[in-house]
Amino acid sequence: MGASTKPRLSGMQLQVLALYRGFLRAARMKSPEERSRIEALVSQEFRRNSSQVDRKNYLYIEYLVRRGKKQLDQLKSPETVGLASLNVEASQAKTS
Amino acid sequence: MASVSANFVCSRTSVRLPNQMITSKSLRLATVGWGRTPGFPRLSSSRFQISCAAKKETVDKVCEIVRKQLALPADKEITPQTTFTDLGADSLDTVEIVMGLEEEFDITVQEDNQDNISCIQEAADLIEQLVANKS
Repeated sequence: MGASTKPRLSGMQLQVLALYRGFLRAARMKSPEERSRIEALVSQEFRRNSSQVDRKNYLYIEYLVRRGKKQLDQLKSPETVGLASLNVEASQAKTS
Repeated sequence: MASVSANFVCSRTSVRLPNQMITSKSLRLATVGWGRTPGFPRLSSSRFQISCAAKKETVDKVCEIVRKQLALPADKEITPQTTFTDLGADSLDTVEIVMGLEEEFDITVQEDNQDNISCIQEAADLIEQLVANKS
């Protein structure tokens, strides 16, 4: 996206950005420390996906957007107080 | 109608025309609604605001927020024409910047406006427009 004029964003890119915006707006409604946690998590997730996921992999991107929308709906509900994520890595089992 | 508007332009420069106009039947200034204040037609000021550049303090505030969001070093120069991509921001950063501006100025940027913002001047202009519409 190094064009000097405004780059035309594809429909999918616009969806992703709208989703990101939705998350940031929802984060505002939570408590301040939760808000910063949500923002950090969401931005990390989005950036990771943007670098790792192939641009042409429309199916996976659509899946991620759908999943994101569901998560956003859950986040928007007033009962939800926070967002957390787990990183599960496949490692050697530490069983003795 | 063309004759009325042409005459109106003339009347701005010299008020002594009405003396002559009363005698001639083709020029009927009395029927024109603009006559309540002699002189300038009072167009709504918001129409002019959009064409003018944004105020300096708005641009400065925008620069501050951009600097903070992108964590730019203090010596990096920002002019109103700098685009966000020049500063190394991708589209996600742009969304964050716009959100930060929304909070700072207490406005809400609509979805379709968000995609048009590519440089600092445009952001400041949009902010001015929204602040003016709000008040």
